[in-house]
Amino acid sequence: MELTNHFPALILAILLGISFLSPILYRWARKASAPALIASLFLALVMAVYLLVQVLQVGEFTYYMGGWPPPWGIEFKVNLLRVYMLLIVLAVSLWIMVYALKDLEHELKTEVMGWYYTLYALVVGSMAGMALTNDLFNLFVLMEICAISACAIISIKEDRACLEASFKYLILSAMGTGCFLLGVAMIYMVTGQMNYDLVNAALPEAVELYPNNMFAAAALFIVAFGTKAALFPLHVWLPDAHASAPSPSSAMLSGLVIKIYAFALFIMFYQLFPRSLLESIPLNEIVLWLSSMGIMFGSIFAMVQVDLKKMLAYSSIGQIGYVFLGIGLDDIIAMTGGFYHLLVHAIMKSMLFMCAGIIIYTTGIRQIKQLGGIGQVLPITMIAFTIGSASMIGIPGTGGLISKWYLALGALEIGRPIFVVIILASSLLNAVYYMPIIVNAFMQQEQFQHQVKPVPRKMLIPLIVGMAAIIFFGVFSRPAIVLLDEALALFF
Amino acid sequence: MEMLIKIAHNYYYMVAILLFVIGMHTMLTHSNLIKKVIAMNIMDTSVFLMFVATGYTYGGAAPIVTAPANEVLYVNPLPGSLMLTGIVVAVSITAYALSLVVKIYRYYGTVDYDEICLIRSRE
Repeated sequence: MELTNHFPALILAILLGISFLSPILYRWARKASAPALIASLFLALVMAVYLLVQVLQVGEFTYYMGGWPPPWGIEFKVNLLRVYMLLIVLAVSLWIMVYALKDLEHELKTEVMGWYYTLYALVVGSMAGMALTNDLFNLFVLMEICAISACAIISIKEDRACLEASFKYLILSAMGTGCFLLGVAMIYMVTGQMNYDLVNAALPEAVELYPNNMFAAAALFIVAFGTKAALFPLHVWLPDAHASAPSPSSAMLSGLVIKIYAFALFIMFYQLFPRSLLESIPLNEIVLWLSSMGIMFGSIFAMVQVDLKKMLAYSSIGQIGYVFLGIGLDDIIAMTGGFYHLLVHAIMKSMLFMCAGIIIYTTGIRQIKQLGGIGQVLPITMIAFTIGSASMIGIPGTGGLISKWYLALGALEIGRPIFVVIILASSLLNAVYYMPIIVNAFMQQEQFQHQVKPVPRKMLIPLIVGMAAIIFFGVFSRPAIVLLDEALALFF
Repeated sequence: MEMLIKIAHNYYYMVAILLFVIGMHTMLTHSNLIKKVIAMNIMDTSVFLMFVATGYTYGGAAPIVTAPANEVLYVNPLPGSLMLTGIVVAVSITAYALSLVVKIYRYYGTVDYDEICLIRSRE
């Protein structure tokens, strides 16, 4: 009955608990509410680090909710890959929250701030749960919590664009979860289990007996997770939702929420489905081509945007494609690249949205055209923007290069050089839309025309941390790559 | 022919899938926001129907086990109880979606998506 045994459940309990406490704290002890949220995110992060240490010592272990073993109870599984995901979710959300403290003051009405903390904790908690859960129905419930609260952190701003965007997001997410639940029904019908491992054990026989059910389930899962993670033809909700949201929400949604569904799809493919199913239908192939199209079209759409945040949102569609490319290539090296990109993109896209947030906060500008000469008045912000863009393009010394390098290596390993060409072409396209902003910001001779408020220090510190993290993961990629290699070896 | 007999035998699955497709189609193609929300509910309900139907066994009794376990065939109670959670989730999504529709109506004076687009393009 040691406390440390219950850490997987406690991480969730703390985050869900603080989500209920936040509005009360905000009402009665306003000063304490934001520190309380940050403290609980930090506590959860410490627990996750402890889980990592434990996993490194004893290997994979499971936690039974309420002490009920499966098939009766819900099971949480802790292995390296899940802890990796959990650490990304908790660390990045803590970092974004520090930035949000200042930014939210001007984007939201003061009376809804407490509710924003509630929703934020719910999003983080449900994502942490999705990283750990080992039960299909539990995953469904967490997905719905995440969907509602992710829509709500957009619509909380209550202007017209936000309301419409979040309604669109909500409808498409509801379609996604509907498809997921139908897929679960198909699987439950033939196996009678909900636990991943038990389903996995029962499936090879079930595939023989009822192949159609399993084909339907696989298709439904691709649609479900594809919609939620903005896989190419199902991405239509993303640009509006991510561009109109308050900047911390955009950072959260683009940095983490779409990634967790890509992770969930990976778990479905490699832990739930038996290997024979992956070989009998070309699931990987479908994901592969859709992601390649996403990589190209995301960048092409981003080029024609005039709104800075909309451009970043379209760029997310391209970048999530890399993670799916890793899954689609079905090779351990490419997968390492994909998951490394998941980490790097979570940092760089969040940072770019923070830069956009600072630009909007200090000058009120959203149009790319008006940004000429802004480097002179907001030097640190634009340097951060430059480093973030450099990482997007994949310039040596930044994290973006490492992930693209491993993806390309993986593509060569299985003998499909066409995907190396796609990766290179998309890097070029990224350069085409990121470079002009940087060049304009720094090189333009004339003075910056608009009024500029001073940048608060609370906003700059997260930016500096972000820059340091991107460079760190670009130069010292070894530990994370070794960890990922070991983590992914479990699935092959 | 064999397929048709199978479908006729399991018609409740067919009905569930039909409802699912109707719901999904209406949700994605109709321009009226309220109808979208209703269609979302139809879609969710069809999945619940499907799930509950998987638990049914022909001639099964309600799964209430009395003290001396008599050898009767029982209906699987798990899907039903899972779907209670599903219903709660669907209700909360519906409530949230409707509240969004109310807010959108306050801005535009209409709940028709095409008209909203028209109003936006005129500005």
